[in-house]
Amino acid sequence: MMSSVPGADKKSKLLVYTIEECPVCGQKTKRAFSVGDYVTKESSKCPKCSNSTRVSLVYAESTKQSG
Amino acid sequence: MSIFTAALQVTSSDLTTYLYIAFFGLLFIVQFAFGTRLQSYFAINEISRGLNKLRVMKDKARKEAIDYLINVGKAAADPTQRVDQFLDYVTIMPVDIDPSGLVGKIDHVVTTNNDRVRSEVGALLNQSNPVTISISENLLEVATSLNQIHKIVRHYYLLGKKTNSYFTLVQLQMLMPMIIQEADALLNATDSFRMGQPVGDGIGPVVVSKLMAGKEKRVIAKDTVMAVTEYKGRKLYVLKADGPMAYVGQPGMAIQKIIGEMGVKPSAIVMIDAALKLEGEKTGEIAEGVGAAIGGIGVEKYQIEEAATKVKVPLYAILVKQSILEAITVMRKEIAEAAEKVGEVLNRVIEEKTKEGDEIVVAGIGNTLGVAQ
Ligand SMILES: [Zn+2]
Repeated sequence: MMSSVPGADKKSKLLVYTIEECPVCGQKTKRAFSVGDYVTKESSKCPKCSNSTRVSLVYAESTKQSG
Repeated sequence: MSIFTAALQVTSSDLTTYLYIAFFGLLFIVQFAFGTRLQSYFAINEISRGLNKLRVMKDKARKEAIDYLINVGKAAADPTQRVDQFLDYVTIMPVDIDPSGLVGKIDHVVTTNNDRVRSEVGALLNQSNPVTISISENLLEVATSLNQIHKIVRHYYLLGKKTNSYFTLVQLQMLMPMIIQEADALLNATDSFRMGQPVGDGIGPVVVSKLMAGKEKRVIAKDTVMAVTEYKGRKLYVLKADGPMAYVGQPGMAIQKIIGEMGVKPSAIVMIDAALKLEGEKTGEIAEGVGAAIGGIGVEKYQIEEAATKVKVPLYAILVKQSILEAITVMRKEIAEAAEKVGEVLNRVIEEKTKEGDEIVVAGIGNTLGVAQ
């Protein structure tokens, strides 16, 4: 008869990552997001060929699997 | 044997039977006379709990906007008073009893409002970083929306209570879970906005930014950039809102300009956008279709349809499914990973629907926060 109101704090925790991609060798690295990151931003040196990498994606993953 | 026939047969000596009849009779009368009042009581209780939640949410959004203006925006003076004025600012939509030319009028009112917001926020902040200004605009917009939702729900709650209207209260009670869900999504959006993280709605810009990388960009409409690139002998006019600011740009105006002023004769317009999924559909699923894939109040959609119809260009849509919460909060992995597949679909659509030497417009629709080009 009575429907329930969902709580405002009923969310699983999300961790946000930044993916850096080397435009030369294609090496991808995943690190925690830091404020100021954006897609296409020039980022750290590639660990393989030391060209500067670019941020290719920023996304969040749920700490619970398939949340 | 029912209790009534039993009551007729049994003589006055059986007192319990009479008591039974009296009890059920009374229950029947109470249910008949006070049933709706009882239901109203439950409805009022539940709505008032929801209303409390909404009040907490709108206060939180307001506080977060103020904190952002002070801490990140380095507001010169205390912005609290200005923010409160902001929350109650109204946009009066043009009259629609004479609908000819209505879209132009709506566009004018909306553009005026957007310009006002930006200039006021800009004046409030002690810096000119466009990303910070655009994020402030979005945070204030969220706070305004939550303020509106709270006000409207409170209005119907008080009205229902005052007029003792059972149906008003029950309708509101039924809608409450959906309203809370939407408000919750809005509040969650403030977290992603403050951090400058791309949101799910930014999937179109993400796909398109890959095509624009390293190409020369030009501003084609307000907050909107375009680059020219090539794919298998076709010339692509690629556009998106100017990132990494939290802009949606004016893709309608941009496409009109490409076709009109620039005299481009495209053989296809491909639009990439986020689309609301139905419950049960998977996040990040890709759907294809025809038509102008763009949300909002309809101005951009109208402009794109007009431009496309005038020169008889087919409109193709590539959509990435997501919920309202996922669309306005930080981009989920499933959505981000769809970017590559969308790129493949885009290539296939271009190869199938056009031939070498053709010109094609590709538009990445959506909020481009955290997505540059
Ligand atoms: Zn490398």
